[in-house]
Amino acid sequence: MDLLEFARGPALQWSVSIFIVGVLWRLLGVFLLRSKKDLSEPRNPAAWKGLRLIALRSWPRREFLEGTAFGEVMGYAFHVGFLVSLFFFAPHVLFFADVARGLSGTDLQGLIGFRWPTLPNGIITLLSAISVAALLAVLVHRLVNPVKRLISNFDDYFSWFVTFAPLVTGMAAFAHLAGWPYERLLAYHLLSVELLLVWFPFGKLMHAFTIFAARGTTGMIFERRGASL
Amino acid sequence: MTASTGQPHTRKPEPLEFDKPRVSIATPEYRYDMQGEMPEAERVERAMKSFVKDFGRTAAIYMESCIHCGMCAEACHFYEVTKDPKYTPIWKLEPFKQAYKREYGPFAVIYRALNLKQKVTVERLQEWQQLIYDSCTVCGRCSLMCPMGIDIAALVSQARHGMYAAGLIPHELWSVTERARLEGSPLGATPKVFKDRLEWLSDDHEVEIPLDEPDADVLCAMSSIEIMKYPDSVVATARIMNHLGVSWTFRLDGYEATNFGLLSGNAAAQKLLTMKIVDAAVACGAKTVILPECGHAYTALRWMGANMYGQPLPFRVMHIAEFLAEQVREGKLRLKKVAKSATFHDPCQVVRRGGAIEAPREVLKALGVELHEMYPTKGTNWCCGGGGGVVANHRADELRYKTFKLKMEQIEATGAELPVTTCANCRQTFDDGQAHFKWDRKMHSLLELVADNLIEDES
Amino acid sequence: MSAPSVGEFLRSRGVTRRDFMSFCASTATLLGLPPSLAARIATALEQARRPSVIWLPFQECTGCTESITRAHGATLEQLIFDAISLDYQHTLQAAAGDAAEHARAQAMKDNHGRYLLIVDGSIPTGNAGYSTIAGHDNLTMLKEAAEGAAAIIALGTCAAYGGIPGAAPNPTGAVPVGEIVKDKPIVNVPGCPPIPVVITGVLVQYLTFGKLPELDALGRPRAFYGQTIHDRCYRRPFYERGQFAETFDDEGARRGWCLYKLGCRGPTTYNACATVKWNNGTSFPIEAGHGCIGCSEPGFWDKGGLYQPLSTGRWGDARTVGTAVGVGAALGIASAALARKRQRDAEGG
Repeated sequence: MDLLEFARGPALQWSVSIFIVGVLWRLLGVFLLRSKKDLSEPRNPAAWKGLRLIALRSWPRREFLEGTAFGEVMGYAFHVGFLVSLFFFAPHVLFFADVARGLSGTDLQGLIGFRWPTLPNGIITLLSAISVAALLAVLVHRLVNPVKRLISNFDDYFSWFVTFAPLVTGMAAFAHLAGWPYERLLAYHLLSVELLLVWFPFGKLMHAFTIFAARGTTGMIFERRGASL
Repeated sequence: MTASTGQPHTRKPEPLEFDKPRVSIATPEYRYDMQGEMPEAERVERAMKSFVKDFGRTAAIYMESCIHCGMCAEACHFYEVTKDPKYTPIWKLEPFKQAYKREYGPFAVIYRALNLKQKVTVERLQEWQQLIYDSCTVCGRCSLMCPMGIDIAALVSQARHGMYAAGLIPHELWSVTERARLEGSPLGATPKVFKDRLEWLSDDHEVEIPLDEPDADVLCAMSSIEIMKYPDSVVATARIMNHLGVSWTFRLDGYEATNFGLLSGNAAAQKLLTMKIVDAAVACGAKTVILPECGHAYTALRWMGANMYGQPLPFRVMHIAEFLAEQVREGKLRLKKVAKSATFHDPCQVVRRGGAIEAPREVLKALGVELHEMYPTKGTNWCCGGGGGVVANHRADELRYKTFKLKMEQIEATGAELPVTTCANCRQTFDDGQAHFKWDRKMHSLLELVADNLIEDES
Repeated sequence: MSAPSVGEFLRSRGVTRRDFMSFCASTATLLGLPPSLAARIATALEQARRPSVIWLPFQECTGCTESITRAHGATLEQLIFDAISLDYQHTLQAAAGDAAEHARAQAMKDNHGRYLLIVDGSIPTGNAGYSTIAGHDNLTMLKEAAEGAAAIIALGTCAAYGGIPGAAPNPTGAVPVGEIVKDKPIVNVPGCPPIPVVITGVLVQYLTFGKLPELDALGRPRAFYGQTIHDRCYRRPFYERGQFAETFDDEGARRGWCLYKLGCRGPTTYNACATVKWNNGTSFPIEAGHGCIGCSEPGFWDKGGLYQPLSTGRWGDARTVGTAVGVGAALGIASAALARKRQRDAEGG
């Protein structure tokens, strides 16, 4: 079995399985913890309206912007670049379509009812490049900013690495980086993605899920009190 | 529990000096305090147990969500004035994040088995005492910044429970809490003192102050700071209630609204203090309990009271500013116009975290002042720097004064004549800061401002 | 009797000087040599002695032989092929039975250490009876023939990498030549079948320079297998622009857009199809509207469905996912229950 076959086969199966197990383990392990009912009389009984915090907190208030603008802009740059390339690059869509077919027995279009759009490769390349640049910027920021440096741990740096690696290997594979055989680049790309999947449930990448829960929870508690969101 | 101070500063507990303007201990330089005699391992054990006990879904979600972006630092006044990264709000919880992962999180088994997260040591908790108590006012400004939506302030309150259980809280906070628990007031406003004061105030100010009425629609409570330091607020409360013709009373079995149990992390004391007011209100059949100008008193009863009581409270809980605003809205409270400009300092627990954002402003509007809002204001207003027990913790003074500069700048920038707030704790912090910096601005009480400008009926 | 040189042989077959020079020039190009070397190739070929070649077909389908001998009319490639002294090829030779075996033994003896061994088909290592020739099993025959060979050309994917006989579950225990013979130079010329000019190119180089071509990590001549189909595919611009045929009969397919989404393995397949093409340079699979199936790559038969896009993985199926979901949920529930228990204990204590 060559490296690419290993990456496409057993490595993928194991990493996907670990990802699923880990994510469910962590999410259920948290969501099934006890939660005491708040008996205080709500100022606003429609606490669910506080769920708007999920959207609201996507950009800091004006008062906080000065000190956080760099982090916010860079954060958005690499998130958007990463997610758009992940979901709208044609070969990726093929991957997801194949997964959908494997799970449901029907094609992606049949499953979701519409054709999943893909973006031209030029745009994907540009966004990935922006993402890579932004990730480098946030790494430097983490290393030189006293606050981030102090509070950072292994998770922060490793999570950065497993996010950075698929972007770089993906771009290298796409560009058929000179002198490197495509199938090896593709294998590295797959392996880097698999590393991401394996690490995902155990590190801070889980914020992709918990961000909604945390914002929503706080939003509802605060809304109930009429407090500032 | 006896008090002792921690290594390396072995020191006999000193008597509290109650005669000073503020509760204080002579030498505040030492870094951390310890209460009780117990092996170090037991302290850690107790902290962890308390921590585990407290934990629930909400706190766990928060603990799982931090991405170490460090943005909360930008919201914290202690960081803002020092730029010292250790004041980053989430960093103040570091040992507790560590404990969460190791003791309680979904992967706790793995973390323990592989020792991926070290066991929290007593040294670490001792080191963090200063961060959790001296440099956090639980003002919750960081909770508004966090991009993940983590309520960091709520976690600090939980962390304090663990610290209290371990006997690792600042000695002054511990002793005032003990005093409140044993004497009924942290500052010596015992029922007897309160009664004497009421008599004296009633005579001096020619105002009727009902006490221990068996039946009343409204039960009023005061904070010890007001009773001991700002008695005019007591008078103002009485005058306004009488003016409105409300059936009201003070009660000696439940008059003290401050709750150092909440601030120190002593959950049992918190419940005891809360239940005094709840029981008093139930005893006189009050439909409304009006809380004084005190921020954390509002959190303690308005938002935590029912949970302490174990069922919904059989009465409404209102901050005095909310009550005044309601009376203004209903046209019952008519006020003389104050032809001055004013700015409003938002007490964190009442406004940002309490939700009474507009009520004080409605009252100010009724007073006809020209309101110059600070920047930032309302939910993101800077904390006075003395909340969360910090003003009662003398060793934090130096740091607190630094944060106070923020307030001075903010207020100066408005150009307003009257700084007004509706929290006696903020007011006390302002008075102290004013004296320290020989500042020419005096903080005013919204309650007293209203009492001074009542339009008395001609009849 | 001294064997005629290649030049003499070709002239006897009526090949003109002009055709011969033209062949030498194009071969030089194929081999990635400068055109100036064409003259040298011509000179060398003229004088080269016809080498003795023994061709052993094992577990194979004769596709490779077909490709080389029958693909199209009598071309120079075929003539070059004829120019060698093919002393044994049981499919092609007229002799049969003992006579054939005798010819092989004689050639091996006469040209010991000098003959070229061509193998097509894989070698079964399981039951020796899976494949025998005149009572000899493949393994023994290969070992005997390899012993006196100057070099070995593993012709076709089966001989080079195991091919279809070696595909999972590989019932015969088929292995490529390279796994049996370790002490002789081996040139892999994979493909199912390989392109005819590739084999003649290798022969020409061997005859001209007296040495084997430069090989890549998989033992293939770099000159022919140095680039992927995708690298040289005329449909590549469509890939770059993100224009893909979604099905074999859609507008994209009719317009000749990239076949990536239909499982084309061009990007991972190293071969010269896109440049040399097939049937006298007529066309190649992608040009005919079908994606590359990667037939010249090791294990091509086991790399997923032929219509499964390259970017897809074999990530498992609903059952794998279901199992993972079950395990994850169980662990989550258990850890929450454990945490709750610790809470109760803490409260009790």
